[in-house]
Amino acid sequence: MSKLPFLSCALAFTSLAFADAPAGAPHSALKPLNFTEYDLPNGLHVILHENHASPVVSSYVLYHVGSKNERPDRTGFAHFFEHLMFEGSENIPRGTIDKLVSGAGGNLNASTGFDKTDYFLNLPSNQLKLALWIESERMMHNRIDETGVETQRKVVKEERSMRYDNQPYGSLFEKLVGFTLKDTPYAWTPIGSVQYIDQAKIEEFRDFWKTYYVPNNATLAIAGDIKIEETKNLIADYFSAIPKGAEPPRPKFEIKDPAGPQKLVVKEEKTPLNASLHVWHACSERDPDSYALDMLANILASGRSSRLYRRLVDKEQVALAAEAFPELFELTGVVGLFATGITGVPLEKLDALMTEEIEKVKAEGVSEEEFAKAMNQKESEIANGNGSMLARAKSLANAHVFEGGTDEVNRQLDHYLAVKREDLQHVAKKYFATDKVFILHYPAAEQGKAHGDK
Amino acid sequence: MIRILPLAVLSLVLTANADIDRTKKPEPGPAPEAAFPDYVTKTLPNGLKVFVIEDDRKPTITMRLVIKAGDVNDADKHGTAGFVASLLNRGTTTRDALAFAKAVDSLGATLEAGSGADAISVSTSGLTKITDPLLELFADAVIHPVFAQEEFAKAQKRTYSSLTAQKKEPHSLVAKLMSVTLFGEHPYGKFTTPESVKAITRDDLVKFHATWFAPNNASLAIVGDVKAADILPKIEKALGGWARKDIPAVPKTAIAPVTGLTIHLLDLPGSVQSNVIVCRNGPSRAEATDLPEVNVMNSVLGGGFSGRLFQNLREKHGYTYGSSSAFGYNREAGYFQATAETRNDVTAAAINEILGEINRIKTEPVAAPELELQRQYNTGNYLLSLENAGRVASRVQDIDLYGLAPDFYKTYAKRMAAVTPEKVKELAEKYLSTKDTAIVVVGDAKQIRESLEKIGKVVLYDTDLKVVKP
Repeated sequence: MSKLPFLSCALAFTSLAFADAPAGAPHSALKPLNFTEYDLPNGLHVILHENHASPVVSSYVLYHVGSKNERPDRTGFAHFFEHLMFEGSENIPRGTIDKLVSGAGGNLNASTGFDKTDYFLNLPSNQLKLALWIESERMMHNRIDETGVETQRKVVKEERSMRYDNQPYGSLFEKLVGFTLKDTPYAWTPIGSVQYIDQAKIEEFRDFWKTYYVPNNATLAIAGDIKIEETKNLIADYFSAIPKGAEPPRPKFEIKDPAGPQKLVVKEEKTPLNASLHVWHACSERDPDSYALDMLANILASGRSSRLYRRLVDKEQVALAAEAFPELFELTGVVGLFATGITGVPLEKLDALMTEEIEKVKAEGVSEEEFAKAMNQKESEIANGNGSMLARAKSLANAHVFEGGTDEVNRQLDHYLAVKREDLQHVAKKYFATDKVFILHYPAAEQGKAHGDK
Repeated sequence: MIRILPLAVLSLVLTANADIDRTKKPEPGPAPEAAFPDYVTKTLPNGLKVFVIEDDRKPTITMRLVIKAGDVNDADKHGTAGFVASLLNRGTTTRDALAFAKAVDSLGATLEAGSGADAISVSTSGLTKITDPLLELFADAVIHPVFAQEEFAKAQKRTYSSLTAQKKEPHSLVAKLMSVTLFGEHPYGKFTTPESVKAITRDDLVKFHATWFAPNNASLAIVGDVKAADILPKIEKALGGWARKDIPAVPKTAIAPVTGLTIHLLDLPGSVQSNVIVCRNGPSRAEATDLPEVNVMNSVLGGGFSGRLFQNLREKHGYTYGSSSAFGYNREAGYFQATAETRNDVTAAAINEILGEINRIKTEPVAAPELELQRQYNTGNYLLSLENAGRVASRVQDIDLYGLAPDFYKTYAKRMAAVTPEKVKELAEKYLSTKDTAIVVVGDAKQIRESLEKIGKVVLYDTDLKVVKP
């Protein structure tokens, strides 16, 4: 991926990029997003997108901190902290952020990933100031007290139970990263382990906020029914007084390839059907290979004419569903295939067919027809991406932080168009190495017992 | 290195900062109007109602056909509508399943159908530059599906495995248990079983399609970067030849609303959480003449993060990640539900809190600031929802499906903004009850049954939804 030169500027209000229709997208009917971006003196990166289709405004704040910034004995910390960001601030009484936003006719939420924690507010456009006040308050002086921490400890445990512990295959992603990305900060998922949240002291939460919730580690994107100059002034009003922080630490690590094929069997009473997952180490999200890998995943499992669907679900009728996914992070990635079996189909059968399809694509590559199909699917996916103002704010901020420049929102398709058909076979050979596969099995509960699966 | 900042910039920063008072919530500007977007309506000679909503934010087109036939039209073969929907994109008179899949995928498009209580919807989406071939495929799937025996057999086989999987999924189980509890023998209360799947034949699918798929029993919404004047002739060309049919009337099955308080407990051993739904019967969509006002009443009780259920069960007690309430409206009947997912040892306590909140809204007038917040929440979020053209399209189609007043959404926000504390209490008394209500729970009976028996009579079910004799 080409990295745009990123200029930083000491003066507020100086736009660095006015990305009008970017050159170089001749093949596509895609509509480029216009935006204005700049840094405040305290390092806060601001991206504004003006659109008057509806009288709404979405604000999106991305902090460049996620579960990969946690200590192995404090997993779940970034996500827990996300909950604490709804508590209040010096000027916003505890427990009233929800009410301020609801009472203004809006809605709000947040999410935590491996690489980021993000907060969004959707409001009628006459409430822009409210969004700026709330986001600047929690960036400036978030409230962290015992009452809030105690309540949220309970809430987060219920969140974990609901999403993961009480669902069939709910542990899958956690097992996957623990198994394949062992000894890296990606070896645990953002929900983390509840014991560590219980052990953490309130001072640790305050330190975490001081370290990572600094303006120079944040990107603020505002999209919707706004006026650029007026919004710039308001942003300066609300955010300029927040002091710049130290540069947050960034994790560094090396990832070791497995010595040979690895296997993990996850036995759980709640597993209804055999499921098998084949995973390999892959590249990070900004690696040039990511586009070819993504297209290859489409050919393998996107749509009913895809290879895995045709073979496992349709022709052999051994699987209920089959998926292929590159899961690429900021600093590393994995790529995998997943199949859920029809009742009674042994895991070995699923494995054999998945392996066969992988070996086939390594040996023969993909056809012209498949390649053209994957390209059209990508173009549609990209075109569908940026409808709502929130989606636009999100795409813009993420492009700035993770894709090498905000302008990347308008270049996505170009990267795919640069991929050649041979590249797909090349990445298949490069990443799907037979001796470097991690296999995870979820045996169906009853079958697991009957066959004495290891 | 010190540089002197240009004065203009410096003073602007200073003045600007001096203007804001961080200690107070900023005042909003004048509120924008929630105007329902304009759309074009046209009825083709064969009776098909077509709605076009122009939206140029994405270079895509989405078409959604609603056939006014769903589970209620299954007659004695429950699940027929579901199989009809799932096989529409698996083979037509001129394309077998693989050829159809290849045609859709190669356009980079999607074309899917699904069935619900009252209707089947068929949706397709792709770039505007493929509008013509996409429309041709769409019409082919709707008018000429073949329901090949081979494809039907494959779908049945997948369904057996899905049903096995659902027996371990708490959210699937609790939804089925709620439906059967509230609607009993009515089609809304039926759920798919291996036996019901086995009983369906290919002829049933063909007959369902022949009976209910007709232009005069459907509406089509088109959303996207298109002009009505350009797309309507194309629609007419693709679907104008679809023949009108006489649509038979469906006899209605009576529903006996729940009386008394009973706890329906489905035992899922090993559960670390209980899925709880406090529910009761409610009005149908047409009967719900006070729907906008009910929205505000419900929102005081359990709407969003500021509703009482969320504030009480989550923010005060830490019993659950989320708790909310909602009214659901179908063509023949509706329901009220309040939900939570709680750890085993507080399941009973959480239910008591939900019942306590239901009682409170029925007996105590809501305070003015709380009501004002919820009025704003509803009108504001309605305005936000209008940004989503797909949502606008489904509302327009709902007006047609449920036979609502054409100007329903024109007065919607105004009515929500006018709700008084008296109205909230009146509607809570009308629709909510702590006495005639069902409490549906999926969880580990060994862990929670005893505590639930203190609340009311417990009926135990297994994962096949069969009552377990004590």
